[in-house]
Order: sequence, then structure tokens, then C-alpha cells
Amino acid sequence: MFLKKQPISDQTLNRIIKYLAIIVLVLVVLFMAIQFKDLWNWITGAIKSAIVPVSLAYLIALIIFPLVKYLEKKGIGPRWLSLAIVFILTAGLIFASFYFVTPIVVSEINNFFSNDFPKIITYLTVDMRDGFILGTDIYDRIMTYIEETNIIGEWLNNLLPTFLASIGSVAIPMVTTIALLPILLIYYLLDYEVINERLRSIIPAKHEKNAAELGSRLNQTVGAYLRGQLLLMLAIGAVATIVYKLIGLKYFFVFGLIVGITNIIPYFGTIIAAVPPIVYAFISSPAGPGPLLVLLVNVVIQFIEGNIFQPIIMGHQLEMHPIIIIISILFFGSLFGALGVVFASPIAASIRVIWNFFKEIKARKLSQSEEGVTTSP
Amino acid sequence: MMDVKRKTRIYSQYEINVISFYASMVWLMPIVLVVTYVFEVDRLLNINDFIFWLAISNFVVALMGTLILLLRRDRLRRKVKADYQNEFVYLLFICSFGILGVAVFYDYMGFDRKYIANVLIILVAILVYILLQLGRKFYKFDYMKKK
Repeated sequence: MFLKKQPISDQTLNRIIKYLAIIVLVLVVLFMAIQFKDLWNWITGAIKSAIVPVSLAYLIALIIFPLVKYLEKKGIGPRWLSLAIVFILTAGLIFASFYFVTPIVVSEINNFFSNDFPKIITYLTVDMRDGFILGTDIYDRIMTYIEETNIIGEWLNNLLPTFLASIGSVAIPMVTTIALLPILLIYYLLDYEVINERLRSIIPAKHEKNAAELGSRLNQTVGAYLRGQLLLMLAIGAVATIVYKLIGLKYFFVFGLIVGITNIIPYFGTIIAAVPPIVYAFISSPAGPGPLLVLLVNVVIQFIEGNIFQPIIMGHQLEMHPIIIIISILFFGSLFGALGVVFASPIAASIRVIWNFFKEIKARKLSQSEEGVTTSP
Repeated sequence: MMDVKRKTRIYSQYEINVISFYASMVWLMPIVLVVTYVFEVDRLLNINDFIFWLAISNFVVALMGTLILLLRRDRLRRKVKADYQNEFVYLLFICSFGILGVAVFYDYMGFDRKYIANVLIILVAILVYILLQLGRKFYKFDYMKKK
């Protein structure tokens, strides 16, 4: 009555051994990497300092290059002239936005700290105690605990040294990147076609056609994302600023700016941008609009953006399941920090493009081999 | 038969430019008012004078644009695309900011702020209907179509 066990075929056994060998090799590599951690950190640090400005230059070139091409198509050439026009216009735009926006933002922040910040402190220490949902007794105990352990004081004391220490590791590479970026961009855009051709020539002739096709698809996807996202950030930021002002919310400019900037992060950005105005409306009520109205405005703006603007502007190239986007934000965010969070969606979309491309190649090869079988005598 | 013919007709760049241009002219004043509202230009200038000069400039720009469109009519009529998605995105942005501009205009005119939401909802509903129709008929962009 016992069922006879099927013997494992040689093919299966070979496959198992192959996978086991790969796993062991990966573990060995990981072990070696841990042993030489300092050396790896040194190498990855050097690579990172070169890759970050180059990648940023590539991404900005994806936005600027269509403009340069457009000018050339209109007869404004040679390349240096069209590039100079685009650069001067971009620099002028950045300067003008800083010139007009910075004074408003600074005055709103000053206004907040001189007028509303003391009110918030009073709210937290007096009004919140009276209306605390768990009772004044629990509130007093929490406050006593905070005062005795000096958590906030310690946190504030540690904040300044941590901030100063991070200047060296973050600010210097950032300043270097900002200084290098225009130079890299100029040289990259001047010889855009030549550089791309050189890069293509590295690839073996056998794979050149496929690599070129994949590259063009990736450029198209990432370029569409960047251009669309920039347009959406500007539009949603402007709309939020105007609507906040229309409903009578104070500091509408800063809150609108936050909406525009955080719009680059899918799903989480909406929540991050909605929290400050809602909390402010809650604390300052009944002086300004109620928190429910602010929440409603945010929901309506995000609904219109997500369901009308985004599908029309971005097309269906970047349409992905929300769960995949959230997972990619968490994953790439933990890997690359803030840059990973910002670029999680285009990275995930690029991975999908690569996956679909190889699936297409496989299907093409399969159909070709099938055709070969049927046509052979 | 006639209906099918009308649906399948692809319009030239001239028709699309005419729609985009006149939509821009209709919404130009509200859009400028949106910018003045955000940067609080009404504190620096007399807003009534500003609106008056803006209306005159709008009229002059509309005349000049009409002239340019008429001069380039034949060349634009020869240009035909399968769909006009970029032009539709432009129209969408113009209309969105235009609608907000109408709300700003309402506020400048000193009407009751309580009814801004009511005015906006009615205007948005009408505009969405017009945009859907324009998108389907002229821009060959059917938003309601299932993928």
C-alpha cells in the first residue's frame, strides 16, 4: 500500500546543486564584504560621489534636452546657441522665483514665530490640559515625567551637535554637486548624441540593437515621469496656494509650497503636506477656516490630481499598483534615503520596463523558434 | 452615417489652435488675476485700474492672435495629427487656473465669500462637460473610455 517514491532525475539534481552553489557563493561574497567593510565603504563612497552628480545631470538633461531639440527644430542653432538660450531662461526663472518667493516665505515664517508660535505653546500647556481627553490628572503625570526625565532638553542638546556633524558629510558633497551640475550639464548636452553613441559602442555588437531599444524605452519612461512630475508639482502647489488663500488660511504660501514640494512623493507626500495646515487650522480655530474644511480642500485637490491630471499628463507608462509604489518607496527609501523616496516610482517603473522588455525578447525568440520548426521540412 | 463620419473626422492643427487660442484669451484675465492674488498685487496697485488695463491688453492680444492665425491658416490646415494630447493638457491647465481666477475675480468684486464654493462647483461641472466633449470630438482624447 505504500506509495513508491519517485527517484530524483539527474537534471533536477543538477539544478538543485547549481542553485545551492550560487547561494553558497553569494553568502561567501557577503561574508567577504563584511570582513572588508571599511574598504567597501571607501569604494562605495568614492563611486557615490561620482555617480550622484552624473545621475542628476542625466535626469535634468532628460527634461532640458527636448527644449534644446525644439529650438534646433525651429532653426535656432548651432547647439551652443540653443543651449545658451535654454540655460539663460532656466537661470532667469530660478532667480525670479527665488527673488519673488523667498521674501514672502521668510515673512510668513517670521510672522508665525512672532505671532502664532506663542499661541501654540499656550495651547499645549493650558488649553490642551483643560480639554485633555484622558483627564487633567494623566496630562499632569505626562508633563511631570517629561520634566523629570528632561527628554526634550536632551533631544535639543543633541540636535545641534548632530546637525553640525552632518554638515561635513552632507553639505559639502551637496555644494560640490550643485557647483558641478551646470558644468556637467553643459558638456553632456553639447555632445549628447556623441556621448550616447560612445556608450552604445561599448556594448557588444550582438546586443547593441536590444540595448539601444531598452535605453530608448527607459529614457522615454523616466523622461515622461520627470517632466510630468515637475508640471504637476508646479500646478498642484499653485492651486493649493490659491485655494488656501481663498478659504482664508493664514500662511497659505508656505503651506502651498509644502503641497507642491511633497507632491513628488506618491501617497505619503499628500499626508505630509496635509498635516501642517490641518493642525494649524485646529489650533487657530475659530480664527481661520476649520480643520475639516482644510482637510476637504486637500482631499479634493488630491482627488482631482490623482484621477484627472496624473493619468492625462503621465499617460499609462507609469501606471502601477499602489501597493507596488508603496513597497518601492519603503525599499528604495531605506536604501538611498531621501533621494530613494523621491525616485522610487521611476525606479520601479524602469524595473517594469526592463522586465517587460526581456519578456518580449523571450516571447520573440520562442515564436521565431516555433516558426523555424514549422517551416523546416 | 453622418454621425460616424463626424466622429472619425480628424481635425487639423488650425482648428485645434483656434480652440486653444480663444480658450487662452477667455481665461487670460482670470489667470493673471490668480497670480496677482497670490502675490497680493492688490496691495500695491489699484485693482480696478489693473483689471481695466488687463482687459484692454487682452483685447489687443486677441486681435493680434486672430490675425496671426488667419495668416498661418493654410499652413496649419495642412498639419494633421492622430491625436492632440499635449494640446489637451495645455487646455486642461488653462481651464483649471481660469476657474480659480474666476473665484479670485468673485472675491475682488466683493461678493459674499460664503458662496464661492457654490459658484465653483457649478462652473467646474459645466467646464468638465465642455472639456470632455472637446476632448472626444476635436482632440481625439476620450477620458471616459475604458482601457
